[in-house]
Amino acid sequence: MKFTVDPWDPSYGASVDGELAESSAEIDTGVEVPVERWAPIDPDRSLVPPEAVLFVDGVRRIDAQVWVDEGQGVASPALCATYAAGVVCSCPDGGAHLVAAHVRRGLFSTVAAGADVDTGAGSYRFSHTPARPGADPTQVLSLAVQRSMAEVELLAAAQARADHGVADDLLVVDGPLRGRQHLPRAVGFVKTHDKTYLPTELGGIVAALGSGQRTPVFRLGSAAQDLLAQRFTWYLRLPCAPGSPWAGVARVECSGQLAPAEAVVLAGVSQGSLIRFASTEYKDSRAPQNLYPIAGLERQLRRRLGDPKLMYRALRRAAATA
Amino acid sequence: MSDQSVGLVVGTVDSTPLLFSVALAPGQYLQLDDVVVTGRTVPGFGAVLTSGVVTQVVARHEGATYGSDVFLIADGVLPAQVQEIAEITTTRVEPECYVPPTPGSPARRATGEERAQALYFDKMDRKVPVGLGRDGEPIYLNLEFLDGTRGGHVSISGISGVATKTSFALFLLYSIFRSGVLGKRSVNAKALVFSVKGEDLLFLDHRNTKLDADLVAHYARLGLPAEPFSSVGFFAPPTPDDPSGRPFVAGRTSGVSSFWWTLAEFCSEELLAFVFADAEDERNQYTMVIHQVAARLRREATPVGDGAVMVDGRRLATYSDLVEFVSDRLSDEDSRRDWAGPVTGVGTINAFLRRLRSSLKPLRTLVRGDLASTAGRRVSTEGQQVTVVDLHNLPERAQRFVVGVVLASETARKEQAGAAGLLFTMIDELNKYAPREGSSPIKEVLLDIAERGRSLGIILIGAQQTASEVERRIVSNSSIKVVGRLDPAEAGRPEYGFLPPSQRQRATLAKPGTMFVAQPEIPVPLAVEFPFPAWATRASESAGDAPSRNGSVSQDPFARLPAAPEDDDAPF
Repeated sequence: MKFTVDPWDPSYGASVDGELAESSAEIDTGVEVPVERWAPIDPDRSLVPPEAVLFVDGVRRIDAQVWVDEGQGVASPALCATYAAGVVCSCPDGGAHLVAAHVRRGLFSTVAAGADVDTGAGSYRFSHTPARPGADPTQVLSLAVQRSMAEVELLAAAQARADHGVADDLLVVDGPLRGRQHLPRAVGFVKTHDKTYLPTELGGIVAALGSGQRTPVFRLGSAAQDLLAQRFTWYLRLPCAPGSPWAGVARVECSGQLAPAEAVVLAGVSQGSLIRFASTEYKDSRAPQNLYPIAGLERQLRRRLGDPKLMYRALRRAAATA
Repeated sequence: MSDQSVGLVVGTVDSTPLLFSVALAPGQYLQLDDVVVTGRTVPGFGAVLTSGVVTQVVARHEGATYGSDVFLIADGVLPAQVQEIAEITTTRVEPECYVPPTPGSPARRATGEERAQALYFDKMDRKVPVGLGRDGEPIYLNLEFLDGTRGGHVSISGISGVATKTSFALFLLYSIFRSGVLGKRSVNAKALVFSVKGEDLLFLDHRNTKLDADLVAHYARLGLPAEPFSSVGFFAPPTPDDPSGRPFVAGRTSGVSSFWWTLAEFCSEELLAFVFADAEDERNQYTMVIHQVAARLRREATPVGDGAVMVDGRRLATYSDLVEFVSDRLSDEDSRRDWAGPVTGVGTINAFLRRLRSSLKPLRTLVRGDLASTAGRRVSTEGQQVTVVDLHNLPERAQRFVVGVVLASETARKEQAGAAGLLFTMIDELNKYAPREGSSPIKEVLLDIAERGRSLGIILIGAQQTASEVERRIVSNSSIKVVGRLDPAEAGRPEYGFLPPSQRQRATLAKPGTMFVAQPEIPVPLAVEFPFPAWATRASESAGDAPSRNGSVSQDPFARLPAAPEDDDAPF
């Protein structure tokens, strides 16, 4: 029996979620080349790499689950979370360096009336999320945290762009581009795959990708749809040890508002840049898809979240005196 | 952080009252030996200032996990930060409230009064400059630990050739004499220098041709004039087989007196003991014979002209005459009893004679009865401030004889004169004269000086390659301990326990001209750089005599110097 071991740490799951479900999204595979000529594409060395590559990412942590007292013996669940987002810039002058980092603390509750919680270790801003009937409130709150984090990511990205002032840069967002399509020169970098977007006859191309090669660009969403809902996307195999057909494959996407030709250029430019940042197995438990700058950024952001035990104790103390 | 601040006290490393660490702010640096001060407010005490000396600096990549990450960081792929952390060893807490500096407190480079306070210079009433610290500011020694008031004696260790022990000892003497720290006592302060390595020290009173404006400025920073020694007397042994007794030196033609002892002095002062100056074994019986013969010579010898003596009707005019005579007396059955003691065995006498005969060659130029006595014949520190006794042409046994006799006579003279003046005695290769094992007359004299010299006003400046080979009581009696470049094996010995580990390691790569000076008041030895000598250290460097014997400065100190000083390395 022949088998390969997935390079990702088992606690993260695998980069491919078991059987890939067939996506219901409409796709247009003829953006870059006609379907008959689909083949792996090598990095184009003639393209000028961007002067700076900016990586945006966020981290979040639930510091405590709390119950907000609503009176008459009723209490509703709430989350105290710390989340942070930042940007690492990789440019020839400064190396890879942190250009922005924002840390926020929030108390997410489904109760409309609430107040900020001040603790010895920092204060948690109250934010109200309406409960959704039928949905698990914790799930709803967790999504609210995720949303808030995404907002800070956006803020960090905008600020980093403004501060850095490099005209020719490339912004890499960790995860899908969802909600950030309007950022210029931005690509979303998706590490895990739960759906396959390509029809079966083209799926073989992904498995056939060599190290550093990508598939041609294809469009997600039908032409009839709003441009905002459309995205251009392509699969990229990062340099890694040969393994399963999907080992080291990431999906990169950019805004559907771009002209197809622009999207192809962006695909070419980002291809050359991204493979440079792929991590190696022994250094990262999600190698190679967890890019070095993003791993470094996450470490730096986690440090800024503060000590979880300290935050937890501070919250308990604040609860006792409230 | 304030303007002068270099960083903040870190909280990830334990901060203690005696050792703490400072994380350096971007763009700032601290090097070893920098003086740093930080403060905090303590209820009841007010502001407590903790000052110290940098004993280690560590730079790390924060955010990197693997050694190979450095390539990713350099390539701009992995974000990381370079962080330098300096370890500070506390020298002083003022007022005395031993609290640790709190993490986050700003730390700054100590300058001016803060630096003086950190290094206790503010507590020194009389201070002797010993060189510049790493920060370019003077480092001082407390004279009270040099002149015997609270301590005395200096022990200098380091590898020959690169440790510059002799140069440092001379600079220290120069500084003591010329910094004005002695005040009125400088009139009675003398130095006795035994030179065992070539004729380097025969030009102490000559200007150095390499003296340039930079060097003058270096001296000026220390508050010293850049001049040669002003009052120096030179003594050298007579040239062997020269009937006129000319001094046995090649490089210097004038101003050197030759020294010797007459046979009359040899007998009357019982100098025979110093002939047997090699390490004495307590079990050896012949030491008895030495004392018997010496006592007998003192009683029987009567001086006749030019230092010769008449003993038992025989005129002895040379050292070989004396050796022959003693040998005759001891070989003769009848006289042996009188000369060697009644129950001395023949074996013992032969042991004595064997050693006496072997002293003939080394000592015959030094113990004479055939030379016309001259005024400057006796080595004496009376006529000048610095007395240099050149021993480099003498065999080792003769060197021991000279050092032993001169020290014994100077000690006796000081004992009579009292402690009014100071005599700094500089001895190189101290391990030869006062080895750890065994005993000898010279070692006795040196031990006496080490233990009692402070009260007599005799200060020993001993230099040796390895302090571990020198009698422990001499090293332990030295208040000032100085270390130049050390052999790595030697640096690990307990004699250097006063050096913190990082300085021990550094001492193995100390450059010529850099010394670590430990003094009782300052808990950490300080690294100093002392200037290149302003006096000549060889004939080729000599720019001639000092302008005057009393040390006054001439109008243009560069008049005799070449316009463009040669670009040359230090000779030490």
